[in-house]
Amino acid sequence: MIEVAQLRKQYGDVVAVKDVTFTAQPGEIFGLLGPNGAGKTTTIGCISSLLTPTAGHIRVMGHDVVRDGVAARRSIGVVPQEIALYDDLSARENLSYWGGAQGLRGALLRDRITEVLELTGLLDRAKEPIKRFSGGMKRRLNFACGIVHQPRVLLLDEPTVGVDPQSRVRLLELVRDQAKGGASVLYTTHYMEEAQSLCDRLAIIDHGNIIAQGTLAELRALLAERDLLRLTGVFRPDAIREALARLEGVEIIQSDESQLSLSVSDASHRLPSLFAAINTAGEVRGTTLTQPSLESLFIKLTGKELRE
Amino acid sequence: MRFVLTSTVKDLRRIRRDPVTILTWLGIPTFIAIILVVIFGRGDARPNGKLLIVDEDQGIGATLLSGAFSQGALSNMISIEKVEREEGRHRINQGDASALLIIPKDFTIALLEGKAAQLQLLRNPAQRILPDIIEQVLSTLTDAAFYLQIVAGPQLREAARGATSDSGIAQLSVEFNHAVANSRKYLVPPMIQLETQVIEGKTDKPGGFAALMLPGMLYMAVFFIAGGLATDVWRERTFGALRRMATTPAGFGAFLAGKLIATFLVLLLVGAFGLAVAHFLADLRIANFPLAVLWIAVSGCGLYLFMMLLQSLASTERVANMLSNFVLLPLTMLGGSFFPFDLMPKGFAQIGRLTPNGWSVTELQKILDGAAVTPAAFAAVILFVVAGWLVVGWQVRRTAC
Repeated sequence: MIEVAQLRKQYGDVVAVKDVTFTAQPGEIFGLLGPNGAGKTTTIGCISSLLTPTAGHIRVMGHDVVRDGVAARRSIGVVPQEIALYDDLSARENLSYWGGAQGLRGALLRDRITEVLELTGLLDRAKEPIKRFSGGMKRRLNFACGIVHQPRVLLLDEPTVGVDPQSRVRLLELVRDQAKGGASVLYTTHYMEEAQSLCDRLAIIDHGNIIAQGTLAELRALLAERDLLRLTGVFRPDAIREALARLEGVEIIQSDESQLSLSVSDASHRLPSLFAAINTAGEVRGTTLTQPSLESLFIKLTGKELRE
Repeated sequence: MRFVLTSTVKDLRRIRRDPVTILTWLGIPTFIAIILVVIFGRGDARPNGKLLIVDEDQGIGATLLSGAFSQGALSNMISIEKVEREEGRHRINQGDASALLIIPKDFTIALLEGKAAQLQLLRNPAQRILPDIIEQVLSTLTDAAFYLQIVAGPQLREAARGATSDSGIAQLSVEFNHAVANSRKYLVPPMIQLETQVIEGKTDKPGGFAALMLPGMLYMAVFFIAGGLATDVWRERTFGALRRMATTPAGFGAFLAGKLIATFLVLLLVGAFGLAVAHFLADLRIANFPLAVLWIAVSGCGLYLFMMLLQSLASTERVANMLSNFVLLPLTMLGGSFFPFDLMPKGFAQIGRLTPNGWSVTELQKILDGAAVTPAAFAAVILFVVAGWLVVGWQVRRTAC
């Protein structure tokens, strides 16, 4: 179990994370969704005791990560964003080293190495130096090194960045298996599809703040089942506001001279009336209609796209 | 504690998988030893040259003169070859000998009769030491001839005239004996006594110049190896191994201890190999081989931690490498790796011996010469290594996060 309460991490005047609070239960995959630089890696760094929090409390399986760091780290498995492996060692040797760092030894270590190699589909390449591995294989081994000691808390920091689709599917299955095995999984990503398909609960983070948190259904409810309509063209923002004020169930999320984002209920059936109103205050050149999703929620909450 | 072993095995495996680096490490001392032996020769190497002699006299005087260069230590340095005048001139012009000595006709007669005679010595301008030696010897011999004339001039002139009868020879012998007896009061005991004082530490070291250079050169190799191994911390930092390590319960103390033990074993191997090469190629005398190897490995670990500290203090890998080179080069120059302390100006040698590598070279030299084990030196190095381990461990953890 991971308990994070009012976590704050500050570097001089720069606040990387402010008042982040969430809990990840055993068997649960908790997603931390946000753009690059939102504070996801800093949060994982604080939980894994890589960084010391400026304020707040973090407990992992009941152990305070600052005061009882070694005990907390025994429960944690980290799969870092970078491929933190020794290129000149084989897969088995890498696992032996990182398993040893987690306190495993002897027959138990050997058995676990074989298990995770089988699990990640690398058993037949176990003795090769990993510099001959593909990027996807290295990612799987990176994951294997994080779970070799059967951690009760698994922290994954964007583990699928730069991974081919096949390896990504495989990795996501492995993450699900860990949760099914009872581990509390914290998964950071900026891929909404991954977060939607994988996570039981999610927190959306931006500029170090959690701006929304809950299950996928709870988050979708925040959008009130509205569609997201994004328009490009030439607009007069004041005139647009006036024109759309007359229409019911239309909310302006973001508006400037070239872009207009609207939250609209049943947008597909109301497009003619919407265009008629908008054309009185500008000229539409492009249209994107999005069904309620995490992306539309993110845009609604922050006024920008997740990948911006 | 168990992880220290795991960490050591990991680093040794990584080193083993890089055969080029291993060969380079072993190659440095071998290469240096070979170069030094080629330049300065094995063991008690001395300069060796040739003296061409044109003997136009063919008398006893010329024979004695030629023979003087074949006596004692001179015979090890100078080989004599008799040639005709034309051939001698041609060969000295070609640089085929150190000098050409022309002994003119009737030299012996002139010597016995106390008349003037002219010896001609042509030096090879491309050489300095050997022609100097030949000239000095020749000068000494002509001086000796002058004094012989003073002491036994009449007898020599008599001999030159040809005393053929037995009574004549007996007369000559008696007179020569009187002349020598008269000289005894000047010669025995000698009026000038040369007192020779052997300064401790300045005795000729066995093994010649190459052997004198090798301990310092060996430490240059150790320094390069230590520097090379220390850069690994940047690679581990770059690909995220240090960050991952910080999230495990193992800790950086064990991580660093493993690296230190691996370095110790590598230096043990290189030290043993280097000393063996120096012994067999350059005739380096090693009084206590195991202790010398142990000293190289232990002090090398100190240098490794020193280099690692520099690496971990730098903000980027490039700065780290620049900083290492900036420190490594002057320290090796001052620390007796480029020039032996014995050949350095006194002030520089004193400073050089205070550098970490210079001090290590001095202590190694003592061990090689058979000095007693210095527990204080070992204690100092071990203390330095422990302090370095703590500081570098803290610094590496800090940079990892």
